[in-house]
Amino acid sequence: MSKFWTRLASAPALVVVAVSTAIPLVAISVQHIASVDIFAVWQRPGVAEALFFSLWQGVLSTVLTLAFGLFPTWVLARYQFTGRSILVALVTVPFVLPTIAVGAAFLAVLPTSLHRTIWAILLAHIFFNISVVVRTVGPLWRSVDQGLIESAQTLGASPAQVYRHLLLPIARPAIISAGSLIFVMCFTSYGIIRILGGPGLATLDIEIYRRAVQLGDISGATVLGITQTLCIAGAFAWWSRSQGAQFSKIGDRNSARALSRSSRIIVFLTATAFTAPLGALIFSSLHTRDAWSLTGWKVVFGLQDIRGLDIDLPSSLATSLLYALAATAIAVPVGMAATAFARRHWIHTAVLLPLSTSPVVLGLAILITYDRAPFDFRSSRLLIPLVHAAIALPFVMRATIAMGNVIPPDLRHAAETLGASPWRRWLNIDLPLLRPAVATGVAFSLAMSLGEFGATSFLTRRHSSTLPISIANLFSRAGDIPRSTGMAAATLLIFVTGLLVISIDRRSYS
Amino acid sequence: MSLSIRHLSFSYNERELLNNFSLEVASGQTMAIVGPSGSGKSTLLRLTAGLLVASQGEILINGINVSTTPTHLRSVGLVFQDNQLFTHLNVFNNVAFGLKMAHQSRSVIAARCEELLDLVGLTEFSQQSVSTLSGGQAKRVALARALAPKPQVLLLDEPLTGLDDELHDRLATDLRQILQSSKTTALLVTHDLAEAHTIADAITHIP
Repeated sequence: MSKFWTRLASAPALVVVAVSTAIPLVAISVQHIASVDIFAVWQRPGVAEALFFSLWQGVLSTVLTLAFGLFPTWVLARYQFTGRSILVALVTVPFVLPTIAVGAAFLAVLPTSLHRTIWAILLAHIFFNISVVVRTVGPLWRSVDQGLIESAQTLGASPAQVYRHLLLPIARPAIISAGSLIFVMCFTSYGIIRILGGPGLATLDIEIYRRAVQLGDISGATVLGITQTLCIAGAFAWWSRSQGAQFSKIGDRNSARALSRSSRIIVFLTATAFTAPLGALIFSSLHTRDAWSLTGWKVVFGLQDIRGLDIDLPSSLATSLLYALAATAIAVPVGMAATAFARRHWIHTAVLLPLSTSPVVLGLAILITYDRAPFDFRSSRLLIPLVHAAIALPFVMRATIAMGNVIPPDLRHAAETLGASPWRRWLNIDLPLLRPAVATGVAFSLAMSLGEFGATSFLTRRHSSTLPISIANLFSRAGDIPRSTGMAAATLLIFVTGLLVISIDRRSYS
Repeated sequence: MSLSIRHLSFSYNERELLNNFSLEVASGQTMAIVGPSGSGKSTLLRLTAGLLVASQGEILINGINVSTTPTHLRSVGLVFQDNQLFTHLNVFNNVAFGLKMAHQSRSVIAARCEELLDLVGLTEFSQQSVSTLSGGQAKRVALARALAPKPQVLLLDEPLTGLDDELHDRLATDLRQILQSSKTTALLVTHDLAEAHTIADAITHIP
């Protein structure tokens, strides 16, 4: 493949990343950073507190997620039991669920006394991020030869000593990697904090939103956004290099060892912890004013109007679906082309930029940058799908790369020796074999777009709200009907994205 | 430390792998079990180590019934056919593993490891990664590691399988000397009668 074609194939991916992320970030840096006293911004009221809160809740969430996550990870990696695949789905799906819907689920399951407390935030972060531990550490533990464990046992190691001296050291790189990713996710937590946070419980992202939208302090929000982006980009690059590629599914091939008593307890507690919020969410969606009611669901599907609610949920649902389809139509072909022809690693690193930028900062940067003619795109309906596509792009490319690596090189060589040009070889050999990767890319893009909240909260227009934005609006209203409607909409969102994510696991590795 | 196996039976998935098997190994003796593949030799070792639970019969070490004792409290060393060295630890720490599990002091661990690495001729490889060892060296480390905690009984599961002829013969002789000098009661499982004759004091056939 000539350099020209390689560059041409990777150009769309670079354009998506440049338009949605690189140009806005550079533009706001140039516009605001030079003209603002950065140190003065950090001394403005609420900023240092937000940074401090982001840091300590991020560290605590990470430690607790690892502490609680390693137990189900071990059981899922090493045991075969009835219902295992359901438990795998229950534990791994939340990571891709819309944060706003997860926040709603915790509002539903927790007693009112815990609402808007640090405990609610920590529990939601653990629920949300355990998937990272299961998917990062699980495959490693799964590959540990049973003979090694038996070997340690014959040398006198008790079960606790096997865990401490053998399994933890073996998994240390994966644990560090999972921990760094979880920290980044919790440090930049936005949707969950918007729903579950309260006074004194604001992360940097919340502070950025508050400064930009409520206080009109654009320069302050920009400084915070850029500083945060630089820190996260560093952490993300490290994560990506150390372990990112191994973020994968725990396979289905398992030793047929029966569950021990302690493992049974872990299975029971995990299943309970992961079904309770979802069960409570469904229950709350069917309850209005202490009685069973379908009002929330009727409002979601436009079968009932509530005076004064002023939120058009069927339209939000349609907008979300439309944006998700458009984002997928951009991300999948663009990502596949970039990975199929562009073998250059810097391109693969470049597409990580949107992922390593907080969505809130992304939304803010786009809002500020594309607000003047001839680049006034704020009202363009393509802007949000483009940003969603940019966020989904790394996942599409990862899926394609992973599948591409499985194709034996000699298969391609055989096609070439039979006279296939690189293009014909890709079309007739690579593409059919990459079909599962395409399915994964489609499902990931749809799920990412349906749940995206941070960037969309800046870019959405009143007449074109997405479902997560409408859910957040519903929870900011007082009263039973907005609440049950919000719960119904969150249930719907979780159901749709959950199905998509489960289909990823079923398709991509079958 | 004597080993007595009495009327041991074991079935898996309704298939009988061991039926009413009995055996006596005197203190300090090396007993070889010889038999064809699938005859239950390795199963016998795993039952003795406590990695499997017998459906019938009992296992006594020095007269004490250990049939229900967990593996880590049984004081049996096992040299696996494929060594099962801990790749995240170097040679020294592999040998030291069992001593650390027994909460031995650093000085005791250092002295015992030095003694065993000397016994198996690997003193200069002490700090080396086990991934870089040759097949013969890895086998020696596995043996030293199993001997380090001074197990009451040492179990050897086809310990010389997969080595080339020259190395096999040399290690068989070395193994014999090491077992004799450490005065360890040992149960060796092999399909190679010549190997059994070289290493063991007595041989039992398993049909």
